[in-house]
Amino acid sequence: MTMEAKTHSIDISALQRQNQSLRLEDETIALTVRDLELFYGDKRALHGVTMDIPKNRVTAFIGPSGCGKSTLLRCFNRMNDLVDSCRIEGQMSLYGQNIYERGVDVADLRRRVGMVFQKPNPFPKSIYENVAYGLRIQGINKKRVIDETVEWALKSAALWDEVKDRLHESALGMSGGQQQRLVIARTIAVKPEVLLLDEPASALDPISTLKIEELINELKKDFTIVIVTHNMQQAARVSDYTAFMYMGDLIEFGVTDRLFTNPEKKQTEDYITGRYG
Amino acid sequence: MNISVKEWFKSGSPWVWLNAGAVAISLIMVVGLLGLIAVRGLSHFWPADIVQGTYTVDGQSKTIAGEVVETNEVLTKQLIEAGIKIPDDTEFSTRHLLKVGNRDVYGSDFSWALEQFFTDQSKPAMLFTAERREWGNLYGYLRSLKESGKEIARVDGYDQSAEYIALWAELDKRVERALKIREDILVIEKHEIGAINYELERLRLKERGLQLDNVTDQAPYAAINQRRKELDAAYEGMQQRLLDLYTQINRDALTAEVAGGKVVEIQLAKIVRIFRPNAMNTGEKMLHYAAKLWEFVSDEPREANTEGGIFPAIFGTVMMVLLMSLLVTPFGVIAAVYLREYAKQGFVTRLIRIAVNNLAGVPSIVYGVFGLGFFVYFLGGNIDDLFFAAAKPAPTFGTPGLMWASLTLALLTVPVVIVATEEGLSRIPRALREGSLALGATKFETLMKVVLPMASPAMMTGVILAIARAAGEVAPLMLVGVVKLAPSLPLDGNYPFIHLDQKFMHLGFHIYDVGFQSPNVEAARPLVYATALLLVLVIALLNMSAIAIRNHLREKYKALEM
Repeated sequence: MTMEAKTHSIDISALQRQNQSLRLEDETIALTVRDLELFYGDKRALHGVTMDIPKNRVTAFIGPSGCGKSTLLRCFNRMNDLVDSCRIEGQMSLYGQNIYERGVDVADLRRRVGMVFQKPNPFPKSIYENVAYGLRIQGINKKRVIDETVEWALKSAALWDEVKDRLHESALGMSGGQQQRLVIARTIAVKPEVLLLDEPASALDPISTLKIEELINELKKDFTIVIVTHNMQQAARVSDYTAFMYMGDLIEFGVTDRLFTNPEKKQTEDYITGRYG
Repeated sequence: MNISVKEWFKSGSPWVWLNAGAVAISLIMVVGLLGLIAVRGLSHFWPADIVQGTYTVDGQSKTIAGEVVETNEVLTKQLIEAGIKIPDDTEFSTRHLLKVGNRDVYGSDFSWALEQFFTDQSKPAMLFTAERREWGNLYGYLRSLKESGKEIARVDGYDQSAEYIALWAELDKRVERALKIREDILVIEKHEIGAINYELERLRLKERGLQLDNVTDQAPYAAINQRRKELDAAYEGMQQRLLDLYTQINRDALTAEVAGGKVVEIQLAKIVRIFRPNAMNTGEKMLHYAAKLWEFVSDEPREANTEGGIFPAIFGTVMMVLLMSLLVTPFGVIAAVYLREYAKQGFVTRLIRIAVNNLAGVPSIVYGVFGLGFFVYFLGGNIDDLFFAAAKPAPTFGTPGLMWASLTLALLTVPVVIVATEEGLSRIPRALREGSLALGATKFETLMKVVLPMASPAMMTGVILAIARAAGEVAPLMLVGVVKLAPSLPLDGNYPFIHLDQKFMHLGFHIYDVGFQSPNVEAARPLVYATALLLVLVIALLNMSAIAIRNHLREKYKALEM
């Protein structure tokens, strides 16, 4: 990580693409996090994080390994519930509704807040069935509806042209990049409101990475996207807002180009200039 | 070539050789074992030539004839010590074990014959073998044919003559006819009358049930009586047809002269097949061999299981194993899923795992005792009280039967299924579970749609191991449902078609019974080998089908290497 950060310089042209006039105050807020603390047993992994994630924007979490960015991301769809020793304090809400309240339907929450993981994890089923999985879980069985949704999702994930002739072949025969786009298609097929991407391109080659990044740009029209990435160039290229985390603390959060060109905090500056990581 | 011993050891080749040796020994043992039982078992069905000769002991001569079953060398001294007067000019003497048949005449099927005393050996083409339903084989010369007690044809002499051939052809035709009639009789006795008896018994139980429920309305009783009358009438009709058939089948008889000159008469109804092995060429013998082999796997046993086939035992074994698999799979899988997915991992689950593993080490006969005490007497007794009160005091499920045997074996094999399934569940990548959960599936949906299908090859591995263990098990079965001879198969055309309460036959027990409980051990020994071979084949076949299913599932759910 350290080496990687040092060898990358910030891609200024990518930053210049960003809309200069973005202001957090003008945005509709999708997710709010207030004083969120997370413990693994006795160990505190998140120290009172407070932030707002704007709707239909791409928000990137950056920071060195073990800083808690993935942990925070997994809080948004309560994936941390699966870890026995995990305990959460504070508040986190989706459009004003506290998702850690008692009586929240976790399965429904996860449908509304979809997630794509670091490594592609298609099910050992056909391409079609992978995309249809979430629909079938919801009890949708009409073939016409499923057909249409599968096509829409695959088109949205820029995969349709590559797989339309082999929809019923196993998803495991695809390349890594295709698999990851399939997983994205599978996730958007259930029409979530928020899309969480946990280092979606870290296991992929540069061309596949590029495709995923283009896809993220497309998808932000319909979805609120939160992406965790190790790669600062990627964060700069794809995100509207960036949060820098360090050792379980949210150090700085703001519009991406401002954060990269004119960081307020010393730690942020040190990190993006590769002085530590 | 000047590698030092130390270097040779370091190179690892001694271990390679050691491994290769171990594998080779194992292979040789398996092949040798199978080869031995195959040769011993399968040669039994070959129509061996009948040797005839003069046997002279102490100056007394008699003619003997029979198949040479075994030939060995014995110490001459030993024979002399046993009181046999034999010149001691050779160290060893050859002796043959002859299957002389004609148990009704000689009293035993086998006799030893010393080569030195056995002179004028020949293989007369006219000697014939008749396989009978009782008293074993008959070896002799055909003398006459009788129809309704009257002689219709006769031949004398021991050489091949046109008359003899003509008579033989006529006999062949008549035996054929008798076999056909016998088939008709079997259809009536086994199926038609069997069905009527079955329904009558059900009517009786129904009536008894009505009585037990204190039903006073006469209408149902009248209906039962009405039906019973119909059945009785049908039965009468069949009885008449049976009588006719019996008169027909008993029409013909043959007389034959056995070695020693005695003439015996046997009814053709008692004959299974006749042939003249000395007159057969290799092609005919092969056909005969195939027919015998087919009879062995497809027919029912005769003569206290020492003759005929073992189909009911094959059927019973396969059915019991299939039923066992059906019972053990859900049971083991549910237990494993609970242990691995739902139970809080801790002291109690560890204790349960230890208990499950130890369960696999309990001697099987203990399971048999448990099955008898718990399943048969307790469970079966209560089921009888609750549902089959009408049949009492005769037990329905309160007696050993197919159901309890399968359950006992399921219990015996459930540890391997649990262990294999748990192993499979633990190998499903976490990422796949999370992928499913992240799409809004609940834990249960994830289990059913992703985890269990992917763990199914591991479950099949468990089932394969269970089959391998259960199919060869005999000891517990003797307590909970296997019998020496079952009158009917547990699956037939009478409602409800599968009779789980019935006792059944099993290949493993059949081997034990034929080999050790048979009145005619010498005659039965080849059948022990043949049955053992068949048991191995049946188990291999069951296992191979399970493996085929597993490979199919593996191909289908080929998991990502994550």
